[in-house]
Amino acid sequence: MILVQVVIHQVYFVLSAVVAVLLATRLFRRKTRRGWAYDVVYAYTIIPFLLRALHVK
Amino acid sequence: MTSAERVRGAGLLAAALALAAVGTGDIRALRAFEETVVVSEGLTSRVPLSRYFDGIAGTRMDAPVYLFDSGVPGGSVLILAGTHAYEPASAVMAYVVLENARVTQGRVFVIPRGNMSASSLGMLGNAYPPFFHVQTPWGHQKYRIGDRETNPLEQWPDPFTFVHYPTRQVMAYQDSRNLNRAFPGRPDGNLTERTAFAITELVRREKIDMTIDVHEASLGYPVVSTYVCHQRAEDMCMMASMVLSAEQFPMKTETSPRTLRGLTHREIGDFTDSFAVLMETPEPFIDKFVGPMTEELMLTGRDEFMQTAADRGLLYTDYSAKTGASLEYRVGRHLAGAAEVIKQMGEFYPAKAVRATWPTYAEVMARGVGYFLHDPKAADGKRVFTN
Repeated sequence: MILVQVVIHQVYFVLSAVVAVLLATRLFRRKTRRGWAYDVVYAYTIIPFLLRALHVK
Repeated sequence: MTSAERVRGAGLLAAALALAAVGTGDIRALRAFEETVVVSEGLTSRVPLSRYFDGIAGTRMDAPVYLFDSGVPGGSVLILAGTHAYEPASAVMAYVVLENARVTQGRVFVIPRGNMSASSLGMLGNAYPPFFHVQTPWGHQKYRIGDRETNPLEQWPDPFTFVHYPTRQVMAYQDSRNLNRAFPGRPDGNLTERTAFAITELVRREKIDMTIDVHEASLGYPVVSTYVCHQRAEDMCMMASMVLSAEQFPMKTETSPRTLRGLTHREIGDFTDSFAVLMETPEPFIDKFVGPMTEELMLTGRDEFMQTAADRGLLYTDYSAKTGASLEYRVGRHLAGAAEVIKQMGEFYPAKAVRATWPTYAEVMARGVGYFLHDPKAADGKRVFTN
């Protein structure tokens, strides 16, 4: 049971990293909504996912 | 995308990363900081909590447990502090005990930071400062202001609702990380439940006669300035509160409600033979309607909005902004509250007597908390520990 919890815990960190990578990808590769405001949204939204993936916060 | 758009994106990403690096300075400092204590000469041993349940070994919840064993037959007491890490007078009271205790009969166990993970998290998003400093004759001692619940870096994800074991009472999802809703705990539960289980195992194996869980409460909350005791500890707490109210400061007693599960005053009492007592002291800092969340508010408890609430009869304890609710007052209350209820246990059950001395309420109010903290740099290195 504890092992399952640890695995799920680590999977969530991986998911967080995946979302951060997806957001970074969309920042540089998107065909619609290419204005600077959307750049800001993508860049800013990466922060919490990155911090969680890096075990900072 | 055009190259200009890519350059713009790269610039904004770099700015976001810089913001994250700078903005998390306090977060990282809080996570890395270790509190220092200079224990008194009466300390017998210091062991990790995982000694009682290895299911938390290697985790941040493996808190140190300090033991003062007089070698004279008597009772055993556990002072459990830091269950909620954003109630720091609890941990400071434990540190004052650790640095000054003399035990001449029985044994005293002290856990200064019950939820070590929560103490590394903080509530910086609520504008809580990460640290506070207690002035001492030799400088200052620095302590963490933590969070109520276990850090998600140690326990994540949260369930949709938290189902308490073994009663199956349903609670809010965040209570899955609240140590004081996880008792008695279980060996295969989440990390917070396993920590509660380790503490419960300590109580069982060491045959702790009295468990004192040290807390702080907001003044707008009815359970403040009080003991909350399991039914078996009622007589002792009632006597202790009457003595304190007559001689030192107002203190109430409330009996643990049978339908509120997961708390130490309920579950330690139900699942062990220990007398379970919880103490609450007023902490204006955690009320929702105070002004700026500053270190000064943490140390003095003086706030004009709290005074307004007091004037309108909205508080559950006396309050004046002139005197506030200083750290000295709160730590002093806890020191006296613990001493008195331990004394009452010896009166009611002489075989469980524990004779232990530490600074009194009057001494702390007169000299300040810092007077009773010792300089780690000047102390014998064998008596200096970090948490």
